[in-house]
Amino acid sequence: MSEILIGLVSGIVSGTGMGGGTILIFLLTFFMGIEQHMAQATNLIFFIPTSIVAILVNIKNKNVDLKLAIIISIFGILGAIIGANISLHTDVNILKKCFGVFLAIVAINEIYSIVKKYRITKNTNNKTKER
Amino acid sequence: MGKKVIIGILAGIISGLFSTGGGMILVPAFIHLLDLEDAKARGTSIFCILSMVVTSSFFYYRGNYINWRIAILCAIGGIIGGYIGAKLLKKLPTKILKIAFTIFLVYVSFKMLTS
Repeated sequence: MSEILIGLVSGIVSGTGMGGGTILIFLLTFFMGIEQHMAQATNLIFFIPTSIVAILVNIKNKNVDLKLAIIISIFGILGAIIGANISLHTDVNILKKCFGVFLAIVAINEIYSIVKKYRITKNTNNKTKER
Repeated sequence: MGKKVIIGILAGIISGLFSTGGGMILVPAFIHLLDLEDAKARGTSIFCILSMVVTSSFFYYRGNYINWRIAILCAIGGIIGGYIGAKLLKKLPTKILKIAFTIFLVYVSFKMLTS
């Protein structure tokens, strides 16, 4: 039952467009004690049905650049073959640390983009006030 | 074309390694390097990630890492949650979502590094 709950929480986060996969892997490993590789495999299966619905909606709303999607997919598949094989041959503890480093980089980039956006809106607000 | 090759391979490697995170590379790359608008960048990225995820699934399946019971239960919750989340998205301000997500990332990153 807790699996459905974890899926529900991750689904809500995915639906808002933030990293639902990260939260799913985190909940599975830290709250259910599932091994990192198995948690990642669960995330893969979790992603397929939810994303198919999202893709169909996006195609209908003309939010998919099909030509670009196909080119990126071809090279993405090559990358995924490399990445998945490295992952499966990597020790769990090292894999977790790599995941931590990756998330830290994404977080720093997010902080940078939030600060930059906030500064721009603040500056334009000041300018309108001066006028 | 060169840019697209690098973006695709890099997102694929990250996606295969961690099974997540492809979107965290693709969405900003599409917006800043290929000048796509926000909605189109997100829509196109999900399409690309699905092809990477299906590829990775094959290797995780072969390595016997898929626990179908857990995966199917999570997916059931995920489909319901995804619907609720999409409805919520229209009501919550993006800025607050972004800040909450970043705090969460810092927390998980710390947990992963210290566990």
